[in-house]
Amino acid sequence: MVQLTPQHPYVTLRLKFKKVGSLQYISHLDLVRTMSKIITRAKLPLWYTEGFNPKPKMIFAAPLSIGTESVCEFMDIRLIDDISPDEVKNRLNANMTDEMQVIEAYYTEAKLTDLKWLAYSIDIKTDGASTELAELCERVLLGEKVIVTKKAKPREEAPTVDIRPLIKEITAEYRDGRVHIDAVLSADASSFLNPEYVIKALRAECGILSNPDLTKEYYSIMRTAAYKADMSEFL
Amino acid sequence: MSNNTENKNISSVLKSVNKPGRYIGGEYNRVMKNKDEVKCRFAFCFPDTYEIGMSNLGVRILYDVLNRDKDIWCERVYAPWEDMKAKMEEYDIPLSAVESGDPLSSFDIVAFSLQYELCYTTALQMLKLAGFPLRSKDRGEDVPIIIGGGPCVFNSEPVADFFDLMNIGEGEEVLVEICHLYNEMKDNGTYTRADFLRAASHIEGVYIPSLYEVSYNEDGTIKEYRPLYDDVPTKIRKRIIEDLDKAPYPDKLIMPYVETVHDRIVLEVYRGCIRGCRFCQAGMVYRPIREKSPETLCKNAQCLYENTGYDEISLISLSISDYSQIRELTDGLLSWTDNAHVSLSLPSLRIDSFSEELMKKVSSVRTGGLTFAPEAGTQRLRDVINKNVNEEDLMRAVGIAFRGGKSNVKLYFMNGLPTETLEDIEGIADLAGKVVKEYYTLPKQDRPRGVSVTISVACFVPKPFTPFQWEKQDSFEQLIEKQEHLKNCITDKKIRYTYHDAKVSFVEAVLARGDRRLSDAIELLVEEGAMFDAWDEYFDYDKWMSAFERAGVDTAFYTTRGFGLDEVLPWDMIDCGVTKEYLLRERKKAYEGKTTPSCAEHCNGCGANKLGGKNRWCN
Repeated sequence: MVQLTPQHPYVTLRLKFKKVGSLQYISHLDLVRTMSKIITRAKLPLWYTEGFNPKPKMIFAAPLSIGTESVCEFMDIRLIDDISPDEVKNRLNANMTDEMQVIEAYYTEAKLTDLKWLAYSIDIKTDGASTELAELCERVLLGEKVIVTKKAKPREEAPTVDIRPLIKEITAEYRDGRVHIDAVLSADASSFLNPEYVIKALRAECGILSNPDLTKEYYSIMRTAAYKADMSEFL
Repeated sequence: MSNNTENKNISSVLKSVNKPGRYIGGEYNRVMKNKDEVKCRFAFCFPDTYEIGMSNLGVRILYDVLNRDKDIWCERVYAPWEDMKAKMEEYDIPLSAVESGDPLSSFDIVAFSLQYELCYTTALQMLKLAGFPLRSKDRGEDVPIIIGGGPCVFNSEPVADFFDLMNIGEGEEVLVEICHLYNEMKDNGTYTRADFLRAASHIEGVYIPSLYEVSYNEDGTIKEYRPLYDDVPTKIRKRIIEDLDKAPYPDKLIMPYVETVHDRIVLEVYRGCIRGCRFCQAGMVYRPIREKSPETLCKNAQCLYENTGYDEISLISLSISDYSQIRELTDGLLSWTDNAHVSLSLPSLRIDSFSEELMKKVSSVRTGGLTFAPEAGTQRLRDVINKNVNEEDLMRAVGIAFRGGKSNVKLYFMNGLPTETLEDIEGIADLAGKVVKEYYTLPKQDRPRGVSVTISVACFVPKPFTPFQWEKQDSFEQLIEKQEHLKNCITDKKIRYTYHDAKVSFVEAVLARGDRRLSDAIELLVEEGAMFDAWDEYFDYDKWMSAFERAGVDTAFYTTRGFGLDEVLPWDMIDCGVTKEYLLRERKKAYEGKTTPSCAEHCNGCGANKLGGKNRWCN
């Protein structure tokens, strides 16, 4: 453990946690507010920012968008005391519901920004799901270009973007009436690819999820793993 | 709303609506029970959004009290926003409780907290979304018992036909008694809707509207309220909690994932109010005054902090600076809150008991503004309404605020008050101007930068159980004229003027003093889709007027008509503690321009002390 000095008044503890089930509908901003109460309840020896309105510091990697679940979220907190990571994990988990739990806690000095790629598992319940449809999806996503139309600003033409360079790996297969996609997408801050864009591309190119009855067709997205630039595991 | 309502996947529905987080439940500190192990499933409905409903202290207290009973599982229900409601109707998704995700039809008792008159349409829409008949008389044995409670039920007559049972007064004990009676009758096989309601009418604080017959005089006033049976009480006395210090208080709060309106610890310091402003319903119906001790409150606060992790504690009461032990309480809290990075907030400060010491205690973390309520622009009118503050008090208070670094002062006023003249309206502008002047009397180095005075003016609505319950409301035209006049009186750019929509206040007045003859109009509105009328963007004055007209309601009868002093009032069957004689005395003094001292000075004989109550001012 690092010696605490006035120059280094805190140590950084990394938490890997899951956020699944109905918590996929909680925005990142709401997650931040929720987390600050959880770390207070857990009575951790928190380091507070200096200044007029002291707050504990929390830094999150790659915010999740609404509608995506995850079993590999990362956040760093700063502590002023030597406390075993397992103790932190247990205290935090006692203060969270089942849908959000810390999987691992460890001291680290590695940067959160080293996280460059994220793996997603996408499950699509759509009319006409078949091996052929899965193959079509894979072909489309591995094509030379994958053009997605972004949301238009008022009185402007909707811009398009080629997401193909942001896709590292894609496989699609047909499973139990669904199209299942495993994808590794860019998580770099400057070129982050929201997996919803993959759905968007498939909607436009393969005609999936076109049933107007929202309860008949649906999809789920789960973030499953994180990698560094060289595709080694991010920790 | 659970993800598998009737095995229907609604994940795409949730992804298609705004702020889906308000529908998912699953919050830390919510109470989960095994539905097969409880006898009474109780759905506590708040007829507004999740963000507003979650902030309500009454719901938080009653949720805790009911769930302490092992035979009762109390769950929460909120109104879906328009986009979600449309989806629920499109896909046949019934309204369901947040905890279990079960539809309301699987509950035994469904209770509504009625906090403001304009929530009525929302409450009834929720009944429709649950698939229940709107009218009590149309409900079969398989429909849950529908309860109403909260401040509105001190005159619940406009919605009396839609509720099976009204809980008059504080609910901590009576709701549990109602559940016990229900369980007992279910256990011994004697339960039918009718028999249960009849038996429940014997519980003090319970009003069963269907057990009373109303007759009317030729002039449209009420002739008589008559119980249908001899065993049904002619007068329903409200319930109170005798000893708040010993009453249960939540030791944890449900932690919302989405941001709610009051997302903080709330400490209820006392109930009731020593002041007796003559327009104020809360100041009358929550009597007698019962305080909690600083020791209990500090214990509550510590416990809630540990179980929530909130960084703000708000001290709640009708007038916090009137708490007899405010110094002991704030000192006790500040002994640990600063170190824990927790701030205190006091939302209801009175001008005359506001002090520098108090402000320092609450301003350690937060800057910004302070709000005071002089209510009227001249001393004459402030005496009429018994506000008992004067100009010097206000100047002293804003002086403290300015010296303490607060540059924004907000002042609340009312217009349309009884006896009000244009001179009183001009007084509002004068007073605001003097507040600005007060700022400039400070030496330059002591002034916070950028003074701004906001005057916010509401329209007077005569409310049941106040000395002004008989008064006529200004006509719509008069209110507009007064608002315009005030606008013209304000020339200083440092004064910002906002005012309430007189149309809203007009409808509020109809509902506040209405009777059972309004129910057809309310039903029409609900059938035509009215909801969220408390929200400006949904309130539609023309729709209200059209519904009143089609249902044959003469709105002037309830608004611009002064009620006769000997007239039978729609709320006369309720005993809220304060007597009619006292209200009449206060009304007379209002017209004489005489004030009444606060309960702290001496007892004015309002009558509420017959209800009992520990730690009260009166003896």
